[in-house]
Amino acid sequence: MRFALDDQPVDYLDGDSIAVAVVRAGQHPQHGGALCLAGDCGNCSADVAGVPFTRTCLTPARPGLRVRRHPAVGGPPLRLDPPKNPVASPAQTSVQVHRRHVDIAVIGAGRSGTAAAASARAAGHDVMVLDSESGFEVVGVYPGPIVVVRTPEHMLHVHAHEVVIATGAADVHPVCEGNMLRGIVTWGAADILRERSVDLGRTVTVDLTELARFDGIDGQVTAVVFTDGRSTPCDTAIVTSATRAPRDLLARMVSDPGVSVVGPAAERYDLPPCPTDGIVCPCSKVTVGDLQMVWDKGFTHLELVKRAALCGTGTCQGGVCMPHLRAFVTEKSGAPAAPFTGRPASRQLTIAEAAADVFLDPFRRTALHDEHLKLGAQMDRFGGWWRPWNYGDFMREYWAVREGVSLGDVSTLGKMIVSGPDVVEALERLYPTTIADIRPGRSRYVLLLNERGHLIDDGMVCRESDDRFVLTFTSGGASFAEAWVRDWIETWGLNVRIMDRTISLGAINVTGPLAGELLRRVGVPESPKFLQHRHADVAGVACHIMRLSFTGEASFELHHPVAHSAELWQTLMLAGRDLNITPHGLQALFALRLEKGHVIVGMDTELDTTPRRINMDWAVKMDKPDFIGRTALARTADLPDHRRLFGLTMDGPAPTEGAPIYVGDRIVGHVASAFMSPTVGKAIMLGWQKHSPWVDTVTVDGRTAHVTDTPFYDPQGARARI
Amino acid sequence: MNEFVETLLELTWHEPKSSYDVVIVGGGGHGLATAYYLATRHGITNVAVVEADYIGSGNSGRNTTIIRANYGIPESIRFYRHSQKLYSDLEQETGCWVMHATKGLIWLAHTETAMRAERARVLLNTACDAQTVLITPTEVKQLCPQIDLSGGGRYPVLGASHHLPASTARHDRVVWAYAQGAMQRGVHVLQNTQVTGLLRDGDRVVGVRTSNGDIAAGTVMSAVGGDVSQLAAHAGLRLPVRTHPLQAFVTNGYGQGFGPIISDTELLCYISQTARGQMLIGHEYDRESSFSLQSSFQFLQANAAKMSYLLPFVRDLKILRQWTGRCDVSADFSPIMGFTGVDGFVISTGWGTWGFKAIPAGGEQMAELIATGTTPELIQPFALSRFAADHAMADQGSTGTR
Repeated sequence: MRFALDDQPVDYLDGDSIAVAVVRAGQHPQHGGALCLAGDCGNCSADVAGVPFTRTCLTPARPGLRVRRHPAVGGPPLRLDPPKNPVASPAQTSVQVHRRHVDIAVIGAGRSGTAAAASARAAGHDVMVLDSESGFEVVGVYPGPIVVVRTPEHMLHVHAHEVVIATGAADVHPVCEGNMLRGIVTWGAADILRERSVDLGRTVTVDLTELARFDGIDGQVTAVVFTDGRSTPCDTAIVTSATRAPRDLLARMVSDPGVSVVGPAAERYDLPPCPTDGIVCPCSKVTVGDLQMVWDKGFTHLELVKRAALCGTGTCQGGVCMPHLRAFVTEKSGAPAAPFTGRPASRQLTIAEAAADVFLDPFRRTALHDEHLKLGAQMDRFGGWWRPWNYGDFMREYWAVREGVSLGDVSTLGKMIVSGPDVVEALERLYPTTIADIRPGRSRYVLLLNERGHLIDDGMVCRESDDRFVLTFTSGGASFAEAWVRDWIETWGLNVRIMDRTISLGAINVTGPLAGELLRRVGVPESPKFLQHRHADVAGVACHIMRLSFTGEASFELHHPVAHSAELWQTLMLAGRDLNITPHGLQALFALRLEKGHVIVGMDTELDTTPRRINMDWAVKMDKPDFIGRTALARTADLPDHRRLFGLTMDGPAPTEGAPIYVGDRIVGHVASAFMSPTVGKAIMLGWQKHSPWVDTVTVDGRTAHVTDTPFYDPQGARARI
Repeated sequence: MNEFVETLLELTWHEPKSSYDVVIVGGGGHGLATAYYLATRHGITNVAVVEADYIGSGNSGRNTTIIRANYGIPESIRFYRHSQKLYSDLEQETGCWVMHATKGLIWLAHTETAMRAERARVLLNTACDAQTVLITPTEVKQLCPQIDLSGGGRYPVLGASHHLPASTARHDRVVWAYAQGAMQRGVHVLQNTQVTGLLRDGDRVVGVRTSNGDIAAGTVMSAVGGDVSQLAAHAGLRLPVRTHPLQAFVTNGYGQGFGPIISDTELLCYISQTARGQMLIGHEYDRESSFSLQSSFQFLQANAAKMSYLLPFVRDLKILRQWTGRCDVSADFSPIMGFTGVDGFVISTGWGTWGFKAIPAGGEQMAELIATGTTPELIQPFALSRFAADHAMADQGSTGTR
């Protein structure tokens, strides 16, 4: 059986890891360096099946596998040819995630792990043992605790009440002159190789404390030189040591009451002798000379040595260098040096493996999504929803609203029913506007403020009866508003019931001078007057009809059970065919409302927008005893204020939204919204001046713009009342 | 011996004294840069920087090293643009190689709303000399051949803004450049010295109480990250600051092959390739406030997935390490610099996810403020008093990845 190493065939025996097979073939998975074959170092990592930095000692050999050594200098190349399928990759087309819930997860199946598992089982616990030799490589222990594990077949997320880290201790690697030659193995690796019947040739065993250096020719070890000067020729040098290195990376990674460390992983071993020569960190090719140099330059702290020399920041995360680095700093400083912090990943995983089975927030679609697509809409995501941006020509849609009739899908609006004996009191506190004098069947535009008196949303309040109201909120603000209203009513302890209908109700805005005519054709002979609302069947669908106006024309929002959205839409489109009915998207809507000077919260407003700053003090009744934001508005009322949103007009095309507004050379603000209005015949804008005294003439896009009263269109509001 | 080590300059340590003209709490980039500029620009060297752990052990050593000025309000653009220029000259001025590399930053838009924001960013940046241009999807592809313009069918690229002078530098080496320059001129840096309180004389702050004894000071400056609210409380100050964890991760090191920095408003994450070849992926700070430094798997999972949609080639890269810092986020997402209303106590905080890029300008301006006793014009908009005046420096659109 064979696999390919740098395109050359390598024979292997059943049960060989890639690394063992490579050593059997007289080669090295990299270009040299001591091998532990236990996953502790990075000296055997290579590109396996297109994935660099794979530990070949933990990867079983398979027929036809393609293994490539990393370059001797520099990293493996970045892949520049992305796979066609974005959710797949050449190496891993799909990654499964398995989940396990256990009482106790024991990491490590050595003596300490086996003992810990046995006693936990004896106590009646459900125990899972995770060991890399059985194919369970622990990536990290995360708060929870959650143990993330990669296996050859899938990822495994283990949710455990307790985690016992019993990872044991590792062989200490040699650090001396010649330690990056081929043919050097740890005692444990030699055991594994002998067990696999690998011919090691002439071997010499040397204890770390007696090791002076390795001699070699052409990168291959030829002799071990002892501290007493003896030199013994060999093909394989086996390094032993009385001391060991705790495998405590996982233990250093997490501090969680559910995580404990037992056995050698928790033990304090003697440090090896302070290294004097050789590579101390094979992953980053850091020499003892590098450590000495940074120390001499004043980097006299283990973390500073690590960061200055980049020691311990590679694949093995200090697996090789930690004892030597500590020995070095301890000797130089005369004080025992603690290990540096451990961080995930203990064993590397690919980004595909990390990403597997992730849940991303869904993009929401209204019940009319398919209707929009059928009409050729260009869809865009806005406020978490897919919405029509336009249906091909937003100016055609604009004119349909201004001169005929149009439909808009406003199903995304926040919709809420509030009722109960304290409902008026609750709404009086919630909104800065007066609520008590809204009569049943009437509605009112409202601002929603936070405690700082800053605008967070707006909408309508529709009174249905003495103790029942329907509230609407903006599409983007709906989910926040729901929590906001609920939390405040809970805080006040008022007797009010809340039912959110944002998802269960669809809403279609019928707008334009012919909107009333269209409603007559579908069974509403007498449509409500401006700012009135009532329940009625429209084409057989039970609707709550709200008459208001955001576009500036007569507008009827038909709120209805979402199951009937498509049928209602189709009926309206059919009934309006000879009226040239044309649905409108957001692009047209933004233009239409701008002509009316209506702000869009979040687009025209900012973090600290008070009603005063957008000239909407009329929507605030400071004579009310209390409402959210009142204290702040009272406090700031007399402070100097330099910020104001103005209507602006100028000749020529509309400037790009966001364009700076100048007074002379000084930027005083920016254009929040802009549109070349065919009805006004000029570019119209809402723009901020943030430096007082405010002026009437400013410069935008190199042109002169004039402060202009809003609304720009139909200032008397007659058209909305047709 | 490698180049990385050879090019380091020497840190000169001093025996601590019991009194200094200026004591700066926090041995990160901002604290050390302030000390450096006090020494080099104003000849004030009787200065101690007091650090609880080792220099650069906080956010200065945990950030994702992006230096940019493509903000959304003129005050911020001017400040960060100035910082960008100081960064460009830093190697020459200090003689330290900080691995400064200009890469350009591509800020992707997937929706019309995002395009509107990028167009606005370009206009305001251009007006303030920050060199940002609008680019088409084709141009994005030319600058970053690895990108999937369909965003995996989920995040199509409609366009982007391209901030040309965006760069990166090695975070630790910036810290050391300032430390070395300050220490060489006689500034004392006291590591492993935790500040446990402030010394008061009436209302005035006159020094710091530390784990190694009291230190008197003419002026105390807070340049701490994470624990700033606790330190300010010793001066009787309540700051409009919340502290959130901020996480990031890197892959192993690969050959160079990814030129620009890619950032994404909608996905709230960004990616660049470090000088060591690692792909570095960061994200907006965690939503919940916390002082925890523990990394979460949810973070790794979500960001691994998001990046895979935009850059499918990353799927086979091996994740090396993830980590967490703490960021202090002010109520309006802009920094807070300057006087506090408490005599003898000045502050530099609210650096959120954008403190690294501000190190040179923040340090230079705070040094001038301490040396002259007046607030330099560049940082006047960022005074603590703006919150009481209800004049936010609101630029949420440019925080973190936005």
